[in-house]
Order: sequence, then C-alpha cells, then structure tokens
Amino acid sequence: MGFLNVFQRVSQSPTNPHPTPTARAFDVADLYRGPVSTASGSTDPGVPPCDEKLRQAYFWIVNTAIISPHYDIEYNDGPPQSFSLGDTKSRLTLPSAQSYSSFVLLPLLTFAARRKCLFIGGPGRGKTASAILMGVIAGYSVREVRRAMQHGHPQMTIADLLGNPLPADLVNAQRIEDIRIAWRQWLSMRVKIIDEYNRIPTRTQSALLTVMGDNYAEILNHIYECPDSAWFLTANDDQGGGTYQVIEALRDRIDVIVQALGFNSRFLQDLLSRIEENIRPEEVVPRQIIFTEAEVDRMQEEIRAIRLPDEVRRRLEFFASQFEFCEVAAEQFEYKAKDTARLAGMEWHTLTAQETGRDRLKDLGCQTVNGLSVRVLMTLLIYSKALAYFRGNQAVELEDVRQILPFVLRDKLAPDTEAPFFEAPGHAVYRADRVGWLRKVFDLSCAEFDRLDLDREDAVAAFAAEFQRGLDGLSENETRSRLVKIERLITEWAKGRKLYGHLYDDLLKLKYLHQRYTNYLRWLKTQ
Amino acid sequence: MKAISPTLANVLRANRAELNTRFASARHLYPRLNSLVFGALLQTAVDELVQSVERVRPDRIGDVALAAYDAALELAGQDLIGPAARHPFVEESWRILLPKVAAIVASDPSRVIASVSNAVHQLATIPETRPQQWIEVMASLAPDCSDVETFLKLGQVAGWRAGLAHFRRSALAMADTLPERLALAAIGAKPDTRWAEARGKLLQNPWHNPAEGHNDITGIRLAAQAGAFRGFGGLFSEPPEVASAGEHFLVYSGGDCWLLTADAFGATFHRATKAEFEDAQSNRSLPTRVKIKGSHILLDEQPFEFPALGDYGSVAANDTTLALTGRFTHTIVLVALQ
Repeated sequence: MGFLNVFQRVSQSPTNPHPTPTARAFDVADLYRGPVSTASGSTDPGVPPCDEKLRQAYFWIVNTAIISPHYDIEYNDGPPQSFSLGDTKSRLTLPSAQSYSSFVLLPLLTFAARRKCLFIGGPGRGKTASAILMGVIAGYSVREVRRAMQHGHPQMTIADLLGNPLPADLVNAQRIEDIRIAWRQWLSMRVKIIDEYNRIPTRTQSALLTVMGDNYAEILNHIYECPDSAWFLTANDDQGGGTYQVIEALRDRIDVIVQALGFNSRFLQDLLSRIEENIRPEEVVPRQIIFTEAEVDRMQEEIRAIRLPDEVRRRLEFFASQFEFCEVAAEQFEYKAKDTARLAGMEWHTLTAQETGRDRLKDLGCQTVNGLSVRVLMTLLIYSKALAYFRGNQAVELEDVRQILPFVLRDKLAPDTEAPFFEAPGHAVYRADRVGWLRKVFDLSCAEFDRLDLDREDAVAAFAAEFQRGLDGLSENETRSRLVKIERLITEWAKGRKLYGHLYDDLLKLKYLHQRYTNYLRWLKTQ
Repeated sequence: MKAISPTLANVLRANRAELNTRFASARHLYPRLNSLVFGALLQTAVDELVQSVERVRPDRIGDVALAAYDAALELAGQDLIGPAARHPFVEESWRILLPKVAAIVASDPSRVIASVSNAVHQLATIPETRPQQWIEVMASLAPDCSDVETFLKLGQVAGWRAGLAHFRRSALAMADTLPERLALAAIGAKPDTRWAEARGKLLQNPWHNPAEGHNDITGIRLAAQAGAFRGFGGLFSEPPEVASAGEHFLVYSGGDCWLLTADAFGATFHRATKAEFEDAQSNRSLPTRVKIKGSHILLDEQPFEFPALGDYGSVAANDTTLALTGRFTHTIVLVALQ
C-alpha cells in the first residue's frame, strides 16, 4: 500500500545537514520525489551512507519507537537559551544545535562500534525494549532476538549460558575431544543481549566474562569462537546490587552505561496510540534502517578512520593525567599512584590524611579514588570517534569528548564523595549525579588547561615533537643540548611548585625522553 | 453534499477497520489532518478517479481506491490538497489528469498517483515553472502511453519543458527512450521535425526552442530574465552578482549563493555555497566574443545595452549565454549568444 504505517516512517536525509560543496548531478527521476510516498515506502531511490542510515535509525527510534524526550547530549552552534528554575536554581538549557537522547544514542553507537552497553534504571523503562531494537536493526527477526536474549536468574548455570555436551557422547566418548557440544544459538549472533545480568550467579558470570572479554566460550576443552558483536546488558541497579554481586572484571568489560530516565507523563497519548493501534515498535522497524553485516563492518572501519585532532587529544591527555597520581602512595616516583595504595590494601582515608599542602579543592585528582585504565581511555577514544561519525563529521570535536565522557567513565572513575569538592556550595548534587559530575570535572580540567595556556605553551609537547622527528643523524652536541633542556625544565618545575597529576605525567614523560636520549648518547659514543 | 458512488462506498465499507486505523495513524503524523476536508476529498477527487477506473479496469477498483485513500491522507495531512491547500495544482492533477489515464493508474495505482502528485507539487513550489502546462501536456499526451514506464518518462520530459531547466540533460536522455512522436510532442516540437535533429539542436544550444521548428531564431538576443527581490517573492535580498560555473552560473546575494540553471524552457535556482561562488569568481574568464570596456559591454565588438538593467553590476558568460546583473535591480538578464 502506498501510505505506509506512520510507525515505519524514517526521517528524510540529510538528518544532520552540513554545508557540502558537491558536484551536482541533476536527475530527472527526482521529479517524482516529494510529499507522497510510493509503494516501496520510500521516496529516496538510493541507499544512504552508513552514518546517514545510523542517524535515520536514531531518529526513527527516538521519534517513533522509544519515547525518550530527554535531550541530555547537548550541542550548540550559538549561544543557547538558558533558564534558572526553582529554589535550587536548576538550569534548563535549550540547545541551539541538534542534540540527542543518550538512552537512544549510546546503544546505537554501541551497535555501530560493536562495543558493550549497560542499560540501568528501574523496571519497565524500556531497557530491554531498546536492546531488542538493536537486535532488530542488526537484521534479526524479533523472534530470533527474543529467543537469543539471555535472562539472568539465580539458577542460571554455565550450561544454560553456553551449551551442553551431547548426552550420548558423554556416555560413549573415550576422549574428551570426542564429546560434542551443543552450543547455544546466541553465541553466534552479532548482537548479544543479557537481560538482568546482575541476577546471574557468580560462577556463571565468570563464564560470561570469558565470552565478553575474549570472545570465545569454552566447555570441556572445546572452544567456540564468537563473531565480533555488540553487547547489550540490562540491570535494575548499577551499583553491583541485584541477586548476586557483579564481579568487578565483568563490570570493567562494560564500555558505556546509560540510564533509562523516567517516563514523561505528557507523552501518555503516545502510549495510548500504541495500545489503540496495536503497535509494537520492534515489529515495525522500517527496512531502510536495518543494517547488513557488511554495513556494520564498514561502519567500524569508517569510525576508526575518524580523525582525532592533536588539540583535542592534548586536552584529553591533560584530563586523564589528573587522577592516577597519589603523592603519598610511594617513595619511588613511578609508583606514586592510587593503584599502588589500593594494591597494598591501604585505606583511602589514611592516604588522604597524609596529603601534602596541595589545594585539595583545586586538585581534580582529589575528587576520585582511582585513575583511568588503558581500556577506559581506548573506549573513550572509540566512542568519541563514533559520536563524531554519527554527527557526520570527519574529525572529533572537543564537545564530542565532553558529551560522551560521562557515559564511558560513569562506572570507571569512582568519586571520593568525602573530598572537599563535594562540600563546596552547590556541589553536593554531584554525589548522586555521576553524569553531571564527570562533565563538571572535564570542564574544570579544560579550564585549567586554558589557564596554563597549554594550547600555546607546552614545553613537554615541544620536546615530544622534537623527539618524534627521530634520532637518526642526531649529533652528540644536539643530544646533549636536548638533555640539558630537559634537566633545566625539571629544575625550574622543582622550584616550589606543587605536584599535581598532570605535572606528574609530564615529569614521567620527561624522564622517558631523557632516558631515550641518554641511551642514544651512549650508543653514539660507541660509534 | 455529493454522495459517494456505490463503487467507492463498497470499497470503504469492506476495509472499514483498516482504513480507520490508517486515518488514525495519519493523524498521529499530521495533527492538522481534518476529517471533514478528507471526507470531501473522498467524495470528489478520489471518487472521480475510482469511477474512471471502474470504466476501464473494474478488477482494479479496490487497489486504486486504497492507494488513492493513502495518498489523499498524506496530501491532506500536509495541506497540499483540499480547501486549505497551498496551491491548487495537486488537486487539479487528480481531477483532470488521473481520470484521463485511468488504465495507467490501474496498472500501478500507488506509484502513478504518488508520481503525479509529487511532480505537480515540485513544479508548484519552484518559482517560474508551469505546473498547469505540465498537467495539460500530460492530459493530452498520456492517452498515447502504452504503459506506466512510458507515462512516467513522458512526465519527466514534460517536467523539463514546464520549466525545470536543471533536468535538461537527464530529460533529453529520457526522451531518447520514448517513441519519437511522443518525445517530440513532449518537448513541443513541430510534427514535421525529426527527433535526432531536435535533439542535436537542444544539446548544442540551450536557447533553442523546439516549437520554432525549422525557423528557429539564432544570434544574440535577450533570452530570459531570472530572479527577483525577496520582498516580491524572489530569492534576492540585494542586487545579485553572477559568476560562470561551466554551463551554469553561480549567483551571490546578501550572503546567500545559488546555482542558476537556465535554458529556453525556464530557469531554476539551487542552493550553493559561498566557497563555490568565490571559487568561480577567482577563475572567471569571458569568452573572446565578450569584452568589457569601461562601463560598456561589447558582444562581437558591438555594444550591448539593456536599458532596464541600468549600470551593470557583474558579468559572466559561457559559450552559449551571457549573464548580466545591474547595480539597482534584482533580476539577472540572460542573453543568448547562439
């Protein structure tokens, strides 16, 4: 039929228009494109690029499938309108550019980049429905997705999760290799959904960890290699609660956490329409937004190809350098890290009590009890690229990093809620609001970066760039000169400056460069 | 109030629940969809079409009625048909053209109804084009079309003729696939013309008018005027400037840029970027036939004057066309050079 169900209407391209000087090719076939859709359900004759298709999927989900009027990922291309409301002067911002709902966007980015996303929030808020939609846009039928979804429950065994040895083989086999395994179907899928993962018993969680972390399953020495896939997990509680405590390694494998926010009662009419029209969004997903395996492969490649400009990377480096440093954790410089204290089993408050005369309010490192892992930083880079890709850009913008960062770090950067920062006027709210707190920390980091004028005056970056040009042909004199410069800089920094996380990383970098030049000089002397 | 014919009434009755759901869904998408307006549309345009189809393909009544119902929902929901319509042409096409091609509609109702509606709407929303002409040309020639594909190709060529100059090359290629008589009629050529001859002239000279047949006018002459002041419904907030861009022109006015495509059938503007305009300006060069001496323009060493333009503001040219703008007008003057 010509007029397709409105629930299958996909936003027209371009969904996020950019000024693009293009060579025009006017095609008279366009004469028949317009306000009336044809039998094919689309007036668009071509297949859009993957990023455009991803945006169309986003807008279809947000406009039709999932009622999530929470535009919490805000972009502006001019000054936004901002209002202060209520006794606490709550700020409501009306963004001036295309902004997004994290509850829909983050799962889509996870799907595109084939990562792992955890939905958290109370029951009945659309966590499982969102996960199912991701399976459907990956090309599986609703029935396949539902059947493949793993429901966590207290009696879930490893066999329930991964599969069973064939009973006949168990009886007849002479060697363990002869026992065939009936692997569970979901292991072969490219979208994997674990519902209520915090209800899975601890032992079974360990088996799940192997699949999530290493992408294979093992039973009786038999290995099943899983394809690259996007993972969607749900939990009613992200604090590790539930029937079983979630093992830390499993939590650490989750790349982003997204919260299902409450239903806005102003949208009750939409629910009513669904009941009256007997519509289940997952059953009417338009075919235009269903991705083939090859398209998802291509998206991954295209996301990886998104550029991260040096100036954005530097700010991210500066931010990341704030947290791991702990001056009193060790005597040797390299071990002055929160992780050293954690591994030694020291109590956090014992450490903070020994703090030196640093400004604990200003020092961003004092706000957390841990630092950032390599895995987290890699995840942050990938999601920043994915967000830039989704927005149709070729390079990551600082705002992309700022917007995505809280969802990646939510469970990874633990706040020290006793820190002076949280005692400051207006900051108590950040004890509960992880997303707001993480964005605030990043903003403070960027402000400090600006104050130090590191965009223009970054001696360490200059040294690193100089080193990056290579050691081939470097004379002895020049090498010595560089060593002296490094030593001078450290001497200057040593004069009465307090030690902060970013300086600590800079000093370690200088030590690294110094060591490389020293080794080179030693080699040079033998020539 | 006109009663619905028993034929349409039967279809509506047989699909009542389904059609009510579709109406509810459409209202979800188009909150302004008015049931009274839509009902009136069913009684008039949709009913007339269904009755026409009944005369030629009674077996297809159901499919046509349902396709027309759906298309009418979309059009009425967007105020493109009915009393509140932004222009009358879609409704005219339903009442004049579609009943005349009932057999074609019956073959692929959804596609034909959507294509006709979209084509007319596109023409109606592009300034200086002639949707009325398109409807008339199609109504007179469509009965000669043997199938849906031929009908749609004819519509594309007729669309170019109705003023969509940017489709020129693509429409010419489409006309190549039509029967010769139909192709010639679609571009308004005289019956004694050969398609190969007409095609050659059209390819060579955008200002060739096929209606002139063998007596076509050539030489330097005022060919067209395009664009107008925004206050009068045009695009330009201030007198425009032009630059040559291959066979087209780039136009700049008040911070905005457009690509101007023009030929004997019409002129259309398409959004462009300032970078494109600046690039075209930096590479500008005039054909040797065109010279600027002080405040005068020489064409083939002869002074060219267009008094209504006043002092010229900018000049651009390619092998076939000279584009001129004035300092105090918002119109671009296009001079045929062939």
